Amino acid sequence: MKVHNAEKTCWNCPAAILKGNIDFRACGQSLEAIRKRIETEGLMIECARQPDLGRFEPTITFEECPEWRLTEYGYLLENMKVMILGIDGYLGWTLALKLASLGCEVSGVDNFTRRRCVEERRSLSVVPIASMDERLEAAREILGVEINFREIDILDWQRLGRFMREVEPEAIVHYGEIPSAPYSMIDCDHAVHVQYNNVIGTLRLLFLMREIVPEASLIKLGTLGEYGSPLTGRPLFEGMFPADAVLLWGGRKWSLGGELTPRDPVSFYHVSKVQDTFNIYEACKYWWLRSYDIMQGVIYGVHTDQVAADPRLRTRLDVDEWFGTVVNRFVAQAILGMPLTVYGEGNQIRGFIALEDAMECMTRLISSPPEPGQYDVVNQVSGLYKINDLAETVATVASEKFDIEVKIQRVENPRVEADVHPFEVVSENLPNLFGFRPKVTLEEEITRMFELLTQPHIRERLRKVAHLVKPRTWWSGEKRLVETIEVYAPGTKRPSGYRPVLITGKELEVPISTPIREEIEVPLNDPPREKVKKNDADR
Amino acid sequence: MSENSRRTVVIGLDGVPYGLLDELSDCGVMSNFKDLKEEGTFRVMKSSIPEVSAVSWSSIITGKNPGEHGVYGFTDMLKGFYALSFHSFSKLKASPFWQMAKDHRYVIINLPATYPAGEINGVLISGFVSPDLEGAVYPREYLNMLMHMNYKIDIDVEKSKLSKRLLFKQLHEVLNTRMRLAMHLCDEVDWDVFMLVFTGTDRLEHFLWNAYEDERHEYHEDFLGYFRAVDEAIGVINSRLSEDDLLVMLSDHGMERIEMNVNVNAFLRQEGYLHTEDDPKKGYNSIKRETKAFALDPSRIYLNKKGKYPRGSVDRNEEEDLIHELTDLFHDLKWKGKRVINEVCRKEEIYRGKYVDKAPDLILIPEKGINLRAKLFSKELFEMDELTGKHTIDDAFIYVKTFNDEKVPENPSVEDVLPIMWSLRRG
Repeated sequence: MKVHNAEKTCWNCPAAILKGNIDFRACGQSLEAIRKRIETEGLMIECARQPDLGRFEPTITFEECPEWRLTEYGYLLENMKVMILGIDGYLGWTLALKLASLGCEVSGVDNFTRRRCVEERRSLSVVPIASMDERLEAAREILGVEINFREIDILDWQRLGRFMREVEPEAIVHYGEIPSAPYSMIDCDHAVHVQYNNVIGTLRLLFLMREIVPEASLIKLGTLGEYGSPLTGRPLFEGMFPADAVLLWGGRKWSLGGELTPRDPVSFYHVSKVQDTFNIYEACKYWWLRSYDIMQGVIYGVHTDQVAADPRLRTRLDVDEWFGTVVNRFVAQAILGMPLTVYGEGNQIRGFIALEDAMECMTRLISSPPEPGQYDVVNQVSGLYKINDLAETVATVASEKFDIEVKIQRVENPRVEADVHPFEVVSENLPNLFGFRPKVTLEEEITRMFELLTQPHIRERLRKVAHLVKPRTWWSGEKRLVETIEVYAPGTKRPSGYRPVLITGKELEVPISTPIREEIEVPLNDPPREKVKKNDADR
Repeated sequence: MSENSRRTVVIGLDGVPYGLLDELSDCGVMSNFKDLKEEGTFRVMKSSIPEVSAVSWSSIITGKNPGEHGVYGFTDMLKGFYALSFHSFSKLKASPFWQMAKDHRYVIINLPATYPAGEINGVLISGFVSPDLEGAVYPREYLNMLMHMNYKIDIDVEKSKLSKRLLFKQLHEVLNTRMRLAMHLCDEVDWDVFMLVFTGTDRLEHFLWNAYEDERHEYHEDFLGYFRAVDEAIGVINSRLSEDDLLVMLSDHGMERIEMNVNVNAFLRQEGYLHTEDDPKKGYNSIKRETKAFALDPSRIYLNKKGKYPRGSVDRNEEEDLIHELTDLFHDLKWKGKRVINEVCRKEEIYRGKYVDKAPDLILIPEKGINLRAKLFSKELFEMDELTGKHTIDDAFIYVKTFNDEKVPENPSVEDVLPIMWSLRRG
């Protein structure tokens, strides 16, 4: 079977510069009103990489084109110029190293907002991270790669524009946003800071792309949280309704196929991501830009081969209430001997993906660019888990592999969210169109995290932020530590809530119209575990 | 200016047939040309095969046939791929006249098929197809001036499809700026040969040939109005000439009404010679190995030869039989009981020269009113659309402002233009 992008053509290639279209029947050309259409007939491009070819129709496949090279992630444009906005972050740095190791010409900008936000909360990355200068030097020394970094605030559009002109990126990965719901809910200033940076930064970026690199693809990080968690259990499609979706009302029926699905953000941060979605969608429509908007599940983990190659290459890891994602927090709490904190009922279901798998998804998306005008969404998850189950899994790994016994505590839920809800996610694009198969299991990555975070120097850093893990930022605006409702030993709770449903391909789909409640369907077989130790109280 | 030769002005009227020019000058729409007609030699001229601008203008400026200049259409296949490449001036294998006599100074404006504009002793502004203005201007220092003038290479054909109002608005705008540029360069540059091509004539005829023929047509007067404006431009240019100067006018092909469009690839598909994947995005790259032949616009048939194309399937020893088979097949193609193809020509019958091997294996010459085209994915063999005019081979024209008509052959073709011009220049 051919690799996922073998049959893509110049039409998808960022090196193909659109030069208008020609209608030989009328001996006419059109440079202004270029027609957007499926047929490539009469569409004229020039190859920025092989100008000697002159002008031609964009029909050469990646498999045929000498500029595209076969890699384990599909065909990849030789020395592809990828610019990463937010290159200093958890994901940005990790992706930079991976792409550079694959032969991409990686450039990136950052103004260290993330480092400052974390410092402002008096927190720190528990995995020590080097300065950007040290990082770049280590990348050169250990991996033999050169990364073109520039300290730029993405809101400084003039400087960003100059750098884009200099680099002429063929793909732009936009990680340059403040990625925290609780941070955006601290107070008005924080909400404004998050929305201004995220929304205006992205909007300016779109105008710059139109001006400077309209052929580049924009790989934009959104979040699965844009959809919310509808209580009806309606599937969360990939951005748009599928062709056969219909709306029934008052005895009448309409097709919903191709329309954007409803978004139901759950924080001012999530609102910023939804606004980005609309801005990008419109820019693709108005200007023929092209973008994949990634509804990424909650990310966790510490490992890729590149970041693990040297301590100076490590990417950051946050475990505080603002920037620590749930699995990362649980592992930190386990190592600190704190009960794992689940909010409310703990039956919230979320999509998740390990760092290494997320980086593979990104590489595959970059390797297979959208076509001009295409806006598409991928739901980037490798599994759906209930928070309660995650706590159980972390506790099990802690106990079985690291001899750490840990309890679980239910605390007041500081957020406004359903803590019991059905959840069905469609994630068909990445497996079926981009050839993605998750490589890392939840247990494997949690194990790697314990291995890294139990190292003495990291344990020491964990202790410094231990008091920042349990939340005190309330969606209501209150500022107080949540109260513990209940502390219990892992394995002692009857499963409750709904069973998550992940649809990854048509062949796997089983029609389920009524969400399944765990307490009805799943009998409790396991007796409570005995291994409960003392001193598990919260610190 | 060089000595011993006359200053020469060449005016090209793209796609204007002899008959139309004759008629419009007689009836008073083109009064300047009427006067000129009385002062010179006006003849029917044969176009190139195929009768498309890229081929015929290449013949006009080189004096060569396609077998020598290597241009067989606006498109060709990129070597080693099934990807349609568009004509580039750099692919022209014969020298255009400005490279033959480099001591002369030239001003050449809107000459089709000369993009990218390259070195010339003077100024060259390329015409259709030019994907941008930057590459269409030589020397580059003229670019700013052209941009400042809002110079347009051509009307925007997609906009023109929106409404006839927009078509005429653009036609006149393009004509006016073209003339402003022409007069500016005419004064500024000390030229020996000044060449200006009007291409709006061809575009208008494609869109509204029916309005020309039908006096009651809503746009009949607008059609005539545009030709009146072109005639005024001819008058302005003529008024700048001195007694000694030579004026040559010509078209690259003629035009007639479309009775029916015939899709050659649809026919090849229907008869089992062409097989493609159903993927319009891949264009010609959707051709499958079973394919024996395919067509490129407007009427060029290529055998899908092994060794030449990525999924070529025709062995050398099959070629002859296939050519006979296809010839018979096209001869038998009928619409409303009438033959569609007048003649099926083998490349050796029409072309001569070093580049005949690049030529299509067969070229179809259509019957009157039949417009051949090679849309790859259309399943319709016969179809009509918004265009009403099509190119013709036999009724282009040539005019020279001289009574010395022995220098103009009785039945001239586009390849004769250059020899005529050189001989008359020497006077």
